[in-house]
Amino acid sequence: MSEAYFPVGPGLGLEENFLSLDDILMSQEKLPGRAESALPRLAFALGQGAGAGDSIPEGSKLEIPLWLAKGLRDSKRRIISVELPKIYKEAWRTVFSADANVVDLHKMGPYYYGFGSQLLNFDNPENPEIAQTILQTFISRFRRIMDSSQNAYNEDTSALVARLDELERALFQAGQKGLYDFQCWEKGQASQITASSLVQNYGKRKFTDVDG
Amino acid sequence: GDLGPFNPGLPVEVPVWLAINLKQRQKCRLIPPEWMDVEKLEEIRNQERKEDTFTPMPSPYYMELTKLLLNYTSDNIPKADEIRTLVKDTWDTRVAKLRLSADSFVRQQEAHAKLDNLTLMEINTAGTFLTQALDHMYKLRTNLRPAESSHSQDF
Repeated sequence: MSEAYFPVGPGLGLEENFLSLDDILMSQEKLPGRAESALPRLAFALGQGAGAGDSIPEGSKLEIPLWLAKGLRDSKRRIISVELPKIYKEAWRTVFSADANVVDLHKMGPYYYGFGSQLLNFDNPENPEIAQTILQTFISRFRRIMDSSQNAYNEDTSALVARLDELERALFQAGQKGLYDFQCWEKGQASQITASSLVQNYGKRKFTDVDG
Repeated sequence: GDLGPFNPGLPVEVPVWLAINLKQRQKCRLIPPEWMDVEKLEEIRNQERKEDTFTPMPSPYYMELTKLLLNYTSDNIPKADEIRTLVKDTWDTRVAKLRLSADSFVRQQEAHAKLDNLTLMEINTAGTFLTQALDHMYKLRTNLRPAESSHSQDF
């Protein structure tokens, strides 16, 4: 069934893919920011204050989802200013450049690369360094992902995958599939006809329905 | 193309699929290709281990031929087990080499490579993974560039 299903993949560039579920989830992530002007009647919507009529005073700290921050960003009228999340700041960038393999990108992310790429939209003076760090992180983690996805046949890879970013997980899956398909062919399983997973699931469901 | 004529006891060249089929119907005897020989394969394996780059393979489908011939006609091939081991060794060496070169390719952020001596089986096993990774890397590398061009459209 997976061959007839073409999900919209993440964009990963400066623009997200409009229909990509991964990108929609990614743009939900919160971003630290500060209100540059007073925002009347918005305290409730942004999670501060209880009353519906309260306004947000100028200069207060905010946690805004990425999609909203992108919408409010305007180079002329300063409504909000956006700060870097700490994992893209210099301190963490140094950690990444020391050894990117030890970082748990799933806990940090789980959309480390996509979110970082989107952050470049905010014209931060540190943009070149951020872009460079993201790229280098990917490069230095590449070998590990490749080796583990193509070596570990029939092994428990869950501990490994747990530390991977969503993007890296997809990559890991691609590597595993290549290896798995090859091994199947080698054992002569590729020429056997098996029931589709859809049919198998259908049979199971029927059985439990009768049971309950 | 035309095949045959077929005469009992005389060698004739046919496609692999037909050879396997005839063999399964017990209508023929298969002759292994010249390179499918313990000494030659040993030499190929040692050569492969010595060189840093990929060495030319005896056949562009060496993996496929070995598998098909050994699975269906191992009774016609002398020392089938040794051949299986040798070919597997060669494959493992080449795949490890492929990973090594892919890693240095990524590290140096290259954009093109020439791989004349890789076989299709090897390319396809690792290909999807590699191209997908390079795809991501390309996007991460060009992240900042469109920002500069779209700016000029804003004003």
